[in-house]
Amino acid sequence: MEARIILQIQIPWNPNHKFSRRPSLYLPRFFIRASSSTSQKPRSYRGPKPSKNLVADFISRNDDLARSLPIYVGGASLLAVLFNRTVSGIAPVADASSSQSRADLLALGLAVTNLLTGLVWLSIRPKSITPVNPEGVECKVVVSGLPTTIVSELLWAWESFKVATCCKSLVIVYNGICLIQIGMVAESTEDKKGVIVNTDKLMQGSVYQGVMKSKAQSYLANLSLYPGRSELPFLPANTQAVILQPLGDKGIAVIGGNTIRGFTSSDQAWISSIGEKLDATLGRYFIDSAAEVSPEKD
Amino acid sequence: MSIRICNLPFNSSFAPQPRARISSRSTRVFARTENDTQQQLNLSVLRFTFGIPGLDESYLPRWLGYGFGSLLLLNHFSASAPINEPQLRSEALGLSLAAFSIALPYIGKFLKGSVVEQRTLPEEGEQVFVISSNIGDSLKEDLAWATYVLLRNTSTIAVLISVEGELCIRGYWNCPDQMLKAQLHDWFKKKVDEIGLADVKETLYFPQYEVWFIGSSASWDILPNGTRSLFVQPLIQDINEPQKMDGFLLVASTAGYAYSDKDRAWIGAMAEKFRG
Repeated sequence: MEARIILQIQIPWNPNHKFSRRPSLYLPRFFIRASSSTSQKPRSYRGPKPSKNLVADFISRNDDLARSLPIYVGGASLLAVLFNRTVSGIAPVADASSSQSRADLLALGLAVTNLLTGLVWLSIRPKSITPVNPEGVECKVVVSGLPTTIVSELLWAWESFKVATCCKSLVIVYNGICLIQIGMVAESTEDKKGVIVNTDKLMQGSVYQGVMKSKAQSYLANLSLYPGRSELPFLPANTQAVILQPLGDKGIAVIGGNTIRGFTSSDQAWISSIGEKLDATLGRYFIDSAAEVSPEKD
Repeated sequence: MSIRICNLPFNSSFAPQPRARISSRSTRVFARTENDTQQQLNLSVLRFTFGIPGLDESYLPRWLGYGFGSLLLLNHFSASAPINEPQLRSEALGLSLAAFSIALPYIGKFLKGSVVEQRTLPEEGEQVFVISSNIGDSLKEDLAWATYVLLRNTSTIAVLISVEGELCIRGYWNCPDQMLKAQLHDWFKKKVDEIGLADVKETLYFPQYEVWFIGSSASWDILPNGTRSLFVQPLIQDINEPQKMDGFLLVASTAGYAYSDKDRAWIGAMAEKFRG
């Protein structure tokens, strides 16, 4: 907003204030407008604010009621039409002869449309699946020696998965090293701490090999049905869904979720995009660090 | 400064499921299971369809409402004798039913599991891709990647990211042609400053962006024609972390109600990346 400074300057003609008989003359007032520069602070937002849509809010909260609403409306109107006919003494004959029957027929047609729409809505109700709390311990293990940019990128990936999807556990293995193991982790039987990822065993297992060979994301929507479950012992035992995202051809990200079929196709697309980004970042870091090491070897 | 106009691979729309054809007179209803594309839906059912590709049956109640409503009015005005009360009652009932049927597709849009409208690309206008030259290479790369991913994974057609005043703009925008990239960046910056988007404190979501918004400030016309949804995500500021960067992320789409809760959560996650 421009700040307008309005100055009013009144300069008395006669500086002698004592017993002055002559009327003091005032010079015309000056209005000075100065617009303060707002280059330091952002100009305040001048635009519309989103308005609340009451219908949308009501329907999203009362989903079941809204779905059966057309059925009630259609059924009630059907009965109302018949009732109207009987009350007014006209025989309930459905022909198009009189204009009364035509109007009734049209109303009946609309009632049937509503009934059918209500039935269709009820039938396409998505099945609600309850999330299952993973059994395990919270854990945050990041391999030491990584630069802060890489660590912050890995933690950013974890935060994104945690907030936007049903992800509860994340393990990233790259170049033969487990870079990060974060979230819920299976509790090991010996001590109360989490099971550490056995990277070599993971990389020799069929799960890892399969993903590396196909070079594509693998989505295990219901982990209990999957025989390769035993190769991921670090995930909590009741992890419901897992996404295995290859990071280029050198690494893998194992993302565990708490709902069967909890990752939507949009989630899968986002996870694969983030996987590509992580691969680019990690790949560059490891190539650089390998290049630093090799001159010493020579 | 690496700037290039990219041909973005937009999401191809889902291949239409093979639908049953119907005979010209009767309508048949088929029961079958569909492989759904969204894992959380379980669409195994009775689906009424005409089998005409491109025809959206969810709007059928609206057309029937209009059709039957106009027939009712025709019937009313062509009645010869004075109209008796029972007929007036059925006509009133019929008209209110028609009004309800017309509103049904609108209500259906807010139910869980409803299909989101696909975006349409604007016919005119070119895609632009402008990044400020005053920022480091790693930030440029992050911005380029983030804008590409936003355009690919959501139904966005235009995205603008501002970090500490430096902009990255990508997609279809309503900007003057024949302008040099550096000038284009400054032009966008001026427009954005006029709207004052940097001052937005919380997310703004306009699922039904209307053209009359332009009346409030001429600067909104940088958005392409046909914009239906608009979402602004500020990089959230925390007074405990003053070293974080500020700015915002703006996405626009030609589909109404384009950004579901999940989409907005992901866009928020992308904004976090630039917070530093």
